Amino acid sequence: MLNFKKETREQLLSLARERGIYLEGNIIKLVDTEEDAAFDEYVKEAIKKDEQSRKKRLEITKQVQSQNKELTEWKKHNEQLNEDLKKALQDAEKSKETALSDLEVLQKKTQYELIGSIVKVSLWIICGIGVITTAMYALSLTLQLQNDILENTWSNMFGIMLTNCFSIIGTIMGVKYANGKTSGSSAKEIAVCKNCSKPVT
Amino acid sequence: MEEMINSILLVDDENLFHLVFEDACSLLNITLSLKTLNSSEDAEEYFKGLVQRNAPKPDCIFVDLNIIGSSFDGIELIRRINFEHGDGVVIGIISSSDDEEEQAKAVKAGAQFWIIKSDEIEPRLEEFKKDFNGYLARKAPFRIYK
Repeated sequence: MLNFKKETREQLLSLARERGIYLEGNIIKLVDTEEDAAFDEYVKEAIKKDEQSRKKRLEITKQVQSQNKELTEWKKHNEQLNEDLKKALQDAEKSKETALSDLEVLQKKTQYELIGSIVKVSLWIICGIGVITTAMYALSLTLQLQNDILENTWSNMFGIMLTNCFSIIGTIMGVKYANGKTSGSSAKEIAVCKNCSKPVT
Repeated sequence: MEEMINSILLVDDENLFHLVFEDACSLLNITLSLKTLNSSEDAEEYFKGLVQRNAPKPDCIFVDLNIIGSSFDGIELIRRINFEHGDGVVIGIISSSDDEEEQAKAVKAGAQFWIIKSDEIEPRLEEFKKDFNGYLARKAPFRIYK
């Protein structure tokens, strides 16, 4: 137990009277009042005040603790939401990539179909003209008709047809080559950045 | 003056709980001497130091089950204190968990009590204070304070 000198006790009592300042903390519980009624009252009052302030602090600490728990739960919840959003964004990016790729395939398919149709029609026209001119030339030969113009036309026609054939083949090859290049550049356009998972343009 | 526990050591990572525990102990006259530590490693080092210096050990130790930032949990700390550094110390868990499996492990490690943390910790500490002498004499059985 702690024993205070009379002088110290009086100083403590006067401090309490004049300024309302008391000893605080667990140490008050160890003070021996030495049958000094006034000092005994002082110690009781100090203990009471200390208990009041501790109760208040305990209440506040509990409140903060509970708020802290809530905040931690909210943080967890927010982190989960954030993760879900990131996943959703990634899924959306993937879907966008798939859609772009599908669109490209569709465009290419349409282009190839168009090229196929052009080639078919061109071939039919070339063959048709060739057949008609040959038939007319053959008819003129059979019927002994004057065929100077047809003869020249027929030979010119075959020359032109041959040239045109090469021209068509060249065009088709050119279109194919150009398509190949375009698809390469589209692939670059939809490439995704590894760091931010955004499409690189 | 009311009989109190001479000294208590609390090992818990939550600083706010240190304040709650300190105030509760003071208001309930459980102890006047409370030391708080934040990790299992610190607690083990502290105990090693006491043994080396031949200094008095705390009468009672309250250990949190999951001490965040520690390399081993409260049950392992209890085992180490009981079997490696100290004897005769009343030691137990103070945790918000009520897991029976963990409680069985704690008993094996040498825990004498299990106090469940909640907003109203004071009634449980009061009950514990009543049983303390039984724990000290190694007569009281393992008890869970709910």
